Amino acid sequence: MSATTVVVGDGTTARTRAAGRWRRWRPVLVVLGVLLVGALLAILPAPRTSTTPLAPDNPSGNGARALAQVLGRHGVTVTYVRSLRDAERAAAGGTLLVVDDYALTPQDAQRLAQVDADLVLVAATQYLDQLAPGVGLAYGGGSAATARQAACTDADAVAAGTVTAAGALTAQSPGVVTCFPAPGAGAQGGGAYAVTTNAAGRRVAVLADATPLTNGALATDGNAALAIRMLGRHDHLTWFLPAIGAGADGGGGGQSLGSLVPPWLTVLGLQALVVALVLALWRGRRLGPVVAERLPVVVPAAETTRGRGRLYRRGRSHGHAAAALRAGAATRMAGRLGLPRSADAHATIEAVARASGTAPDDVARLLYGPPPHDDRELATLADELDILESEVNRP
Amino acid sequence: MAITWRAVVLTALGAVAVLLVPVPGTVLAWAAVVVVLCGLDVALAASPRRVAVSRALPGSVRLTQPARSVLTLENRDTRRARALVRDAWPASALAPAGDGAAPGSPASLARRTPRHRVDLPPGEARRVVTDLLPTRRGDVPAGAVTIRTVGPLGLAGRQASLPVGGRLRVLPEFASRRHLPSRLARLRELDGRAAVQVRGAGTEFDSLREYVIGDDVRSIDWRATARRADVVVRTWRPERDRRVLVVVDTSRTSAVRVDDAPRLEASIEAALLLATLATHAGDRVELLAFDRRVRARVAGSTGRRVLPAFADALAGIQPELVEADWAGIAAQVRERLTQRALVVLLTALDPAAVEQGLLDVAGQLTSRHAVVVASVLDPQEETLRATRTTSADVFDAAAAERAGLERAAVAQRLRRRGLDVVEALPDELAPRLADAYLALKAAGRL
Repeated sequence: MSATTVVVGDGTTARTRAAGRWRRWRPVLVVLGVLLVGALLAILPAPRTSTTPLAPDNPSGNGARALAQVLGRHGVTVTYVRSLRDAERAAAGGTLLVVDDYALTPQDAQRLAQVDADLVLVAATQYLDQLAPGVGLAYGGGSAATARQAACTDADAVAAGTVTAAGALTAQSPGVVTCFPAPGAGAQGGGAYAVTTNAAGRRVAVLADATPLTNGALATDGNAALAIRMLGRHDHLTWFLPAIGAGADGGGGGQSLGSLVPPWLTVLGLQALVVALVLALWRGRRLGPVVAERLPVVVPAAETTRGRGRLYRRGRSHGHAAAALRAGAATRMAGRLGLPRSADAHATIEAVARASGTAPDDVARLLYGPPPHDDRELATLADELDILESEVNRP
Repeated sequence: MAITWRAVVLTALGAVAVLLVPVPGTVLAWAAVVVVLCGLDVALAASPRRVAVSRALPGSVRLTQPARSVLTLENRDTRRARALVRDAWPASALAPAGDGAAPGSPASLARRTPRHRVDLPPGEARRVVTDLLPTRRGDVPAGAVTIRTVGPLGLAGRQASLPVGGRLRVLPEFASRRHLPSRLARLRELDGRAAVQVRGAGTEFDSLREYVIGDDVRSIDWRATARRADVVVRTWRPERDRRVLVVVDTSRTSAVRVDDAPRLEASIEAALLLATLATHAGDRVELLAFDRRVRARVAGSTGRRVLPAFADALAGIQPELVEADWAGIAAQVRERLTQRALVVLLTALDPAAVEQGLLDVAGQLTSRHAVVVASVLDPQEETLRATRTTSADVFDAAAAERAGLERAAVAQRLRRRGLDVVEALPDELAPRLADAYLALKAAGRL
């Protein structure tokens, strides 16, 4: 036993350790800082735009941002919603604009009809019998948007005078007013715009075509006048553009998962996170560094032999393989029979045939015959060589 | 800094407080309590950097023999140190844990650095023992000693890894020494010291003795017979004080694995057996480990010092992934040996490597010395050669056959140049080389 020198401490002080830690953690801290700044920038309220047609935040030709901004300038608060639940919550007491109802189900329409708000249906004619009683839809009323005269007594329509619109809504009960008939059609053919009162006693305005609301068409004719008067009746407008699938209420009782979870569970989850962090710190701290070790080479000596065998196989070198097998067998048998190294093929065949009791022709074919041409012939040759060898080796 | 499981439990206990006052503030407050308590514990823990550590190791140990690394820890702090100590060693040097697991099961072979719990009052010292059982030859450097002291609350503590030097030299196993007694017996027969009278074919005059029936009449010494009035014969004994140079090739061909160990290991076993045998035979043995430069060298040792010197020198060599410089080896041999000697080359009969190197210098070597080339055979090659299961196997068998033929051709070329070639499986190389040495000695070719 030879004692080595006594070691006290690792030559560091609190200051050098702190410096070392700072040096080690600096890159991590830099990355974390960059991530944090990036995240902050990402959640800053940026002017958002979308490309959804008829959305109040879409600045392109088929959007409706111009109208929303004009309404806002006139003191109307525009709330943009994509789900029925949000629409119900936001609409009470104001105006509810429903644009494009393809994503809505009849149940959704039923609930919309009960909302305590003036309804404006724009390009939403699927559930007219529920939402706007007395308003019907006539087909073939002109699908292309054309300039149309008001031709009715509704104040909004008269103020607008002319609008660019398509579609034909018909009045099926006395209280319904239809305006903007297709050019050339009579007043009985219906028009692009209809006003009625629903079962809840709220005013319902229906516009068969959304063209007057779009950024592209807002400035032409009296489109802007009609849209602003139609939507600006109250100082609060809910702009409901049903999203696919989100129009339904999700089948629940109207409560989200979050509202079902008791508040203490959330806090307990937070505590569990903290415990997990401490657990990770406990298990993650290693008792000293890993000891590295130089390991010996792991390549087996037979690797090159296998590689050569694979090369033979891939090159389909049945001839080469057979030659090797034959040479090996012949060498071993010649050694066994005590033939000199200089013995020629004839002498070898003679000796092997005598020792094994096989016909010399067979021995000649096995040892010096034509090369095999496929796997089967090669395997047969190998087996026959084995048998011949065992015959020679038999005592 | 390190925390213990108690800190985790303490944090988990915060769940009770959270259930009583279910607001996020509780979580924060409890976390603050845990942090403060842990900080306090760290501040009160003894400093692991004020523990004086020294490590005691045996100078060298033979492969597969157990050894102990003894750490002496002395607390120079004024506080009591409750410490967890790890004496780090490479996995191949550690003894299998073994405790509790069935012998032979994988769990019993798992090698994990033992951790020692030590309680050190101020000013006192304790000894900690780590059991070692090296499974790989060579110099094993010890790792750092890691000390983790825990504060009075047992929540958290301080940790430091101290670079305590240490190196364990693991000598070759010399498993081939079991072949030594039989070879020594043969040597004694050659020497004429054994009861069996096998006439050594040496050329050195040994003694005169009375004629017994069966002795060669040509060995009768007529002068002595005339003096003694009795028929007296001369006896001869093999030459002594010949020189044997064992050259271990540590180049790339020695690195490949044969039977789960590098080819070099078998060469080392053979070198050790030959050195022991030749020393007993009265020859002077030298060692040279070479690839492109000298890796190890033993010269000038005699008697009982030969084997330890060989083992020590061979312990440190490792296969190098370079091509052997045979011209350099020939130059070394020329430089070291001025008179005729036996040169044993422990290398591999790799046809390409031999043709590029050894064949070029074979003439130089054999012109002055007796040269034996010893090479390890791969048992797997014979398995490959005999397997016929699938068509791929037949191709592998053909490749193995071709490799064998090429090796035989190379061996034949070497023999034609006057070298003796010994080829054997890893376990048999040492005795076969010893036999070749004895045969040379018996033939008086040394």
